[in-house]
Amino acid sequence: MVSFEAYVTAALFDRAGAVWALGDGTVRFEGGAGVEAHDGAVLCAAPHPSGEGLITGGDDGRLVWSRASGAVQLADAGGRWIDAVASSAASGLIAYAAGREARVLDAADPGVSRSFGHQRTVAGLAFDAKGRRLATATYGGARLWWARIAEQKPVELKWAGSHLDCAFSPDGRFLFSSMGENALHGWRLSDGKDMRMGGYPSKVRSLAFPGKGQLLVTSGAPGAVVWPIAGPNGPMGKEAAEIGYTEGRLVTRAAAAEGSGVIAAGCDDGRVWTADLASRGVRHWREPSGSVVSALAITRAGRLAWGDEEGGVGTADFA
Amino acid sequence: MKDAISEPIPVTVLTGYLGAGKTTLLNRILTEDHGKRYAVIVNEFGEIGIDNDLVVGADEEVFEMNNGCVCCTVRGDLIRVVSGLMKRKGRFDAIVVETTGLADPGPVAQTFFVDDDVKAKTRLDSVTTVVDARHVLDRLADSREAVEQIAFADQIVLNKIDLVSPEALAGVEAALRRINPLAPIHPVMRSEVALDAILDRGGFDLDRISELDPEFLSASPRPAHGEPGHVHDEHCGQGHAHGDHAHDHVAEAGIAGVSLSLERPVDGTKVTGWLNTLLAERGPDILRAKGIIEVKGEERRLVFQAVHMILEGDLQRPWRPDERRWSRMVFIGRNLDAAELQRGFEACAA
Repeated sequence: MVSFEAYVTAALFDRAGAVWALGDGTVRFEGGAGVEAHDGAVLCAAPHPSGEGLITGGDDGRLVWSRASGAVQLADAGGRWIDAVASSAASGLIAYAAGREARVLDAADPGVSRSFGHQRTVAGLAFDAKGRRLATATYGGARLWWARIAEQKPVELKWAGSHLDCAFSPDGRFLFSSMGENALHGWRLSDGKDMRMGGYPSKVRSLAFPGKGQLLVTSGAPGAVVWPIAGPNGPMGKEAAEIGYTEGRLVTRAAAAEGSGVIAAGCDDGRVWTADLASRGVRHWREPSGSVVSALAITRAGRLAWGDEEGGVGTADFA
Repeated sequence: MKDAISEPIPVTVLTGYLGAGKTTLLNRILTEDHGKRYAVIVNEFGEIGIDNDLVVGADEEVFEMNNGCVCCTVRGDLIRVVSGLMKRKGRFDAIVVETTGLADPGPVAQTFFVDDDVKAKTRLDSVTTVVDARHVLDRLADSREAVEQIAFADQIVLNKIDLVSPEALAGVEAALRRINPLAPIHPVMRSEVALDAILDRGGFDLDRISELDPEFLSASPRPAHGEPGHVHDEHCGQGHAHGDHAHDHVAEAGIAGVSLSLERPVDGTKVTGWLNTLLAERGPDILRAKGIIEVKGEERRLVFQAVHMILEGDLQRPWRPDERRWSRMVFIGRNLDAAELQRGFEACAA
């Protein structure tokens, strides 16, 4: 097993293969290349809209595009931590959070720069499937912005408590947020109806949508939690299923890829497994290492990449 | 790699009013050669005149979790910053959190007990309150936060003692003691407290409970004597305008310490049940509580501490053969009825 000996903030795939972003400020490519992206820790990462390399935000206040050939600075938040980033291959837009502002850049057009202010620190960001709408999660709720529009009044979705990350359902009908209170919250965007999705023993860190977008998979429980979100009411009135339940353990990261019926989970003991949603068959790819899995990604083509808090990383092909 | 899984990172919360000497102390923590690397979370970047990548700015953001229960009020900015710092694990040994003079210390302390992620990676080493000997009585008179900062303190740095007379100093110490009988007081000039005396104490100074003057245990609101050179009889401060002034206002706020003791061993189940019920019912009024308990049939000391309703207890080291075996606890809070608390505690006797 490889170890980079630094906290693995993110494991993602770009066009060429797996890429890891680390607490020592480097970005490491599966092919062997390594790039010094930040003077400090990488706090967040997303794939570049072009499909080549990663965009990372760091505690040095910089937003950086790293490719195997080198790193380029995309933005400087003047010392403020950049701890959330999102990207859209569909629209080519990149969004990042710096304090109480969410900012939007266009990967293809340096002239585009938007900034959306909030009363509270922006904790999470997500684009919808087309990359036109941007959701921002803060304490007290979420907001929806048209990502390219400079002046606008956002749609406000209120719900008491601390919202950490957010994700649109692939069909754009729902927005889900993970909360500091060990729960998910959902909004039906057509009418703003609230959906409480509780019962978690810990915070939810991953929100992912496998297959055709009819399911939501999350971490935060002894198994991977799967919510049915199809139909006009989404998860309302339905029960979640738990896959790969292991007594006394916690799934700390979950991953899924659009068009794939396989989900992946990483656990607090270092274990990594995949499960076929049709057969419910669970396959283990990594034995317990003692270190918490902190990053996980899978692709539609059947590749898996992970990383843990101590720097242990790996990949597997499960197709 | 096993080492990296390591101990939780100790956190010192540094609180105190503007001008009390916090910034001087922070600058010393960052520049003195003490062999440790501190990550410092500050509210005002400008105050610290040091360029150091371990100094992190945070905007005070109070989050009400779980529908606004007072005990679940936390500092969202700290959760975020501490989680970020954990990605840089290995590059610092401890964390110091500076709060503004107007900050309520409750949510800061509670963050380290309520948030699971923060709790898993860190431990609250102490809430250290810096006060200015010359002005603290005025602050206690006009500011609820100032009273709460004293009440919440695990230790108090009583700064600028050279600016007041010995009599006035005694009055100040007596006033602090009335609010917080437990926190050790470090009287210093120009923030010159030995850093190893206040940082990384390896937990709360619970043993001090056993050293409290028994005089304090009476239900009367008299302050502790004891502590030669630190706390004198309250009458020392009498006649000093500030002393009387502050006394009135602190009394108005109703915040005071209550110390309880029991010479007989207690029933472990009963005392746990009593504490749980007491904190559930009076949690909003009880700012801090700490205790060492002698449980019948148990060779180890049961040690607990609480922040509002959050109770943490553990069986720790065995009683030493030469040690006096008895149970003692201190509650610091608003409008506490010492006699009632003592009765409740006595009912837990085995």
